[in-house]
Amino acid sequence: MERKTLKCKTCHREAGERDFCLLHLKAYENIVKKYDFWRKALKISWKEYLSEIKQNPLTGEWAKEVANYIANNEGTKSVKES
Amino acid sequence: MLRCGSRLLRSYTLIITEKPDAASRIASALDAEGKAEKVVENGVPYYVAKRSEDIVVVPALGHLYTVASAKKRKREYPVFDFHWVPRYLAERGAAQIRTWLKVISKLAENADKFIDACDYDVEGSIIGYSILKYACGGKESLAQRMKYSTLTKEELEKSYTEPLPHLDFALIEAGLTRHEVDWLYGINLSRALTMAAKNYSGKYATLSTGRVQGPTLNFLETRERSIKCFVPTPYWSIKAEVKIGDAVFEAEYEKKVIEIKAEADAIIDSCKGKDGETEKIEMKEFRQMPPLPFDLGSLQSEAYSLFRYTPLRTSSIAQRLYLDALISYPRTGSQKLPSAIGYRAILKQLGRIHDYRNLAAELLAKPALKPIEGKKEDSAHPAIYPTGNLPDRTLNSAERNIWDLVVRRFMAVFGEPAIRQSVTVTLSINGNHFQLNGRRTLEEGWLRFYKPHVQSEDTLLPPLKEGQKVSVKRVILEDKFTNPPSRYNPSSLLRKMEKEEIGTKATRAGIIQTLHNRKYIREERIVVTDLGFEVVDVLKKYCPTVVSIELTRKLEERMNEIQQGKETRENVLRGAIEILKPVTEKLKEKEQVIGARLSQAIQKAKLEERIIGACPICQNGKLVILRSKKTGKRFIGCTNYFEGKCKAAFPLPQKGLAKPTGNVCKSCGWPTVRIWMKGKRPWNLCLNPKCPIKEKWSEKH
Repeated sequence: MERKTLKCKTCHREAGERDFCLLHLKAYENIVKKYDFWRKALKISWKEYLSEIKQNPLTGEWAKEVANYIANNEGTKSVKES
Repeated sequence: MLRCGSRLLRSYTLIITEKPDAASRIASALDAEGKAEKVVENGVPYYVAKRSEDIVVVPALGHLYTVASAKKRKREYPVFDFHWVPRYLAERGAAQIRTWLKVISKLAENADKFIDACDYDVEGSIIGYSILKYACGGKESLAQRMKYSTLTKEELEKSYTEPLPHLDFALIEAGLTRHEVDWLYGINLSRALTMAAKNYSGKYATLSTGRVQGPTLNFLETRERSIKCFVPTPYWSIKAEVKIGDAVFEAEYEKKVIEIKAEADAIIDSCKGKDGETEKIEMKEFRQMPPLPFDLGSLQSEAYSLFRYTPLRTSSIAQRLYLDALISYPRTGSQKLPSAIGYRAILKQLGRIHDYRNLAAELLAKPALKPIEGKKEDSAHPAIYPTGNLPDRTLNSAERNIWDLVVRRFMAVFGEPAIRQSVTVTLSINGNHFQLNGRRTLEEGWLRFYKPHVQSEDTLLPPLKEGQKVSVKRVILEDKFTNPPSRYNPSSLLRKMEKEEIGTKATRAGIIQTLHNRKYIREERIVVTDLGFEVVDVLKKYCPTVVSIELTRKLEERMNEIQQGKETRENVLRGAIEILKPVTEKLKEKEQVIGARLSQAIQKAKLEERIIGACPICQNGKLVILRSKKTGKRFIGCTNYFEGKCKAAFPLPQKGLAKPTGNVCKSCGWPTVRIWMKGKRPWNLCLNPKCPIKEKWSEKH
């Protein structure tokens, strides 16, 4: 039987770990890693953090796409769960 | 026998040069009266110079021979059999080379002595060697070599009367190997990518990669990836505006980066309403050394940072200045200026120009001239320097800029170090320390010679004493974010290639241009396109060795070893084929998957090329160049047009080339397209029918 390949949650590429393609997976990992800095700096929630980085013009295109996806689909999850 | 005007030349020395301009200069320099006779045969110019013997100087047109597949099948890969052929047999649009070679062969028949006077570098050596070998009937072992770094009369005379006894065969061997290895990589990998996409989609689009192109695109892609995945983090910095006398100065809080907002707020609160006091005043003097003489890479970098000229443009301007005998040979890797070039004579000649008169006189008054030099050496040529000749034609502004830059840099390297002073005043505002920085030039030294290409900005502070009270006007909290890694520009990319030791000074700028031409990258601050990402991804996944810097660097080392006689051409070629064989097999095996990915990326790239901008009518579609299904005429419409969701449609001229500018109209903010029409200057067309600029124009006309 032919194995069906999953598409990345945010683009047309083949998905791997966490259902993101390799490119968006790196963006996702950055988002999770940088939350620690934001939490210490501003004492903000995961949801507020996502909203901040979505609007920030310095955030990379793929990081924005992932932040958008998480905010719309998994926004209520805590960072530990995600 | 060769007829030249009324004379018949029975025998003569045949000199081969790389380009027609060089031939003309060399012939004039060698002619006893300085007036060589120009002969044009079937569109091919050559020059006859007369002195104690007759000399015929014939130019090449750069490379007249190239590497080509020994088999005739154009799209087959892998190909490992190759031979050197005249360019007209391997390239389209090179038909002129056939006539050129015929004329050279005819001139070679009556020549009794042969001299290779092509540029003294790898490429020049190959050009001369292949002409002597193939077009002159195997004269490469008999030929002598002229070696010169400038096209001035004196140096050309000397290099003609004291030629090297034979060609530099080690250099040629290394150069031939480089061409062959690059051809093997380029043809096999590019054909694999192109054919994968063609076999999948049925549409032909040229895709290419190569031994240097692949690794270069790879590190551009790595940078792009970090930019696209970048998440900024916030930080804060604090500044205090302090009044000293009548002037206001900005002092920076001692900790430049405060990572916690509450900490920054606490400092602001603590400074509120408080005055400051100077605690410490530190003064330091330091020497700013003159810059190093220009090699090609540093000239390209400097020209980019001062004038925004791309490396390729700088290189071609420098080449023109060299052919005009205004500067020395530009494709050099040297940072050395040997005294044999004659510093004083050059400065004396430059002093004839009003702008340089005083500066040159100042240097000439020194008892001894010793330039500052860098570590880099080039056995063939010194660093770039002005010859001292003055332009005998009007230089255009870009040529003038580069010439002036070379002249001023040449003078600056003989200058004294500049002496500068920095002052750091530590202020205490309620126990919080701030720093006030000043800087001034005490002795200009070399800076004077290099103006206006260097700015020494001084920030002067008023006289202050320790323990002096200063009034604080306000304390400012600045919200900041960390920045993504900066994008490469043509100059920083060139420096990166130099640092990684990939490519050569002659090829790097061209490789960057090829990446643009293939649409793997775009814009001056380089952005990697989706197509560029796909190509790198495919190569990384199926043949990671061909994008690795290590592999190409090792090959460079081995090719240098050929030049030193420590390695052989056969070994290096065998090694390259051993690497390529499994790679091409893997690419062939995965052709279907690779083809699908590349075709998708090509299609997307083509669509993106047609996108003009966001639709100003429906706001969610994109404006693209479309063709009417009824009339076949082109127009600009919304991507929702054919679905009937948006009626946005704008007329376009039916002739000429139309391309999105990527910019919006300055007057109304609508997207614009650039139109190129034969016989007319290209212009930008705003799509808004009611654009105020258009209305003004109609009123006028």
